[in-house]
Amino acid sequence: MNKFHLLQFRALLKREMLEHRNLFIVAPAILAGLVLLFSVWAMTRMGQDLISVGIEYMALLFNGLSPLEMAPIFMFLAIPFIGVFYFCAIIYLMNSLYQDRQELSILFWQSMPVSNLNTVLSKLVTIGIVAPLFYIATMFVLYVIAMLWLTILGWSYDIEVAGLGYMFLAAVASLIFVYLSIITTTLWLLPTIGWVILFSAFAKRTPIMWAIGVFILVGFLEEFIFGTQFLGNFVESRSTPMQYLILDFQDVVERLINYDMLFGILVGSILLAGAVYMRRFID
Amino acid sequence: MKNIILKNRYTLLVTVLTVYIVVLVIEGSITGRQAQVLNFENPFFDLHIKDLEELVERHT
Repeated sequence: MNKFHLLQFRALLKREMLEHRNLFIVAPAILAGLVLLFSVWAMTRMGQDLISVGIEYMALLFNGLSPLEMAPIFMFLAIPFIGVFYFCAIIYLMNSLYQDRQELSILFWQSMPVSNLNTVLSKLVTIGIVAPLFYIATMFVLYVIAMLWLTILGWSYDIEVAGLGYMFLAAVASLIFVYLSIITTTLWLLPTIGWVILFSAFAKRTPIMWAIGVFILVGFLEEFIFGTQFLGNFVESRSTPMQYLILDFQDVVERLINYDMLFGILVGSILLAGAVYMRRFID
Repeated sequence: MKNIILKNRYTLLVTVLTVYIVVLVIEGSITGRQAQVLNFENPFFDLHIKDLEELVERHT
């Protein structure tokens, strides 16, 4: 891959982010605003004594503890952001190739020196690597605001707040684990992503109905032809979050290099290859 | 062969789905992949739906 291809791919990623900034930039910003608003409301409902005791307790609890060991606790705070990200990711994947054909912008992009493979890969890299960065950055800003707020409150109540520094480091370390978890999830769920992208490239209308309907139909056909339920078993065997959550750096290798992960990537690649070829057919 | 597969979007979709399901069936047969949805294990209790099915069958 030479410099031209890298610049070309970067331009494709930039295009994805600009066209879908509502899903990947505005959505986490609105959520962060709501979380902040809720926190302010909750703090105003609490008495001053309760707030000062809470800050003192947190500072004492985390003081001197390893941020990396405490990081998994803070991963719970990311759950609303991860939920919104997954919701936005499904909308994005479902519409990504479908919208191109609806708007006929596919004709423009196919007239450019951009291959269908690069286009499909750019969608994958956007959802797995680039878009989560905006969510992580939003959470980081939220943690910085929360930290400053707690520190100022702690000082105003004359509390020793050194322990809050350890708590902040643990929260930041948790963001690294969340980001790694999202990358692992993308690879782990590659068969699902491939399935959605395939139908996004295929359907003339309502890709979501096609994706769900054909999945059920293929399941029935498998049972009818082969007398097996391996499709259902395969989907079910990949649906436990503990299979792709990263709670420790040691988990990274374990999650990424194992038979199930590699087989999932192989199966997902078949569907993605189908989506690449499907781009030949324009309505 | 390539011309038949790439004749239209439907032939391509059927081909991709056929390859996909055949790979899954072969892999499932070799590894004996089983669904785990019937077993719900947690620190508090074990639920095995298969056991319940056996229980119902025994009663009927």
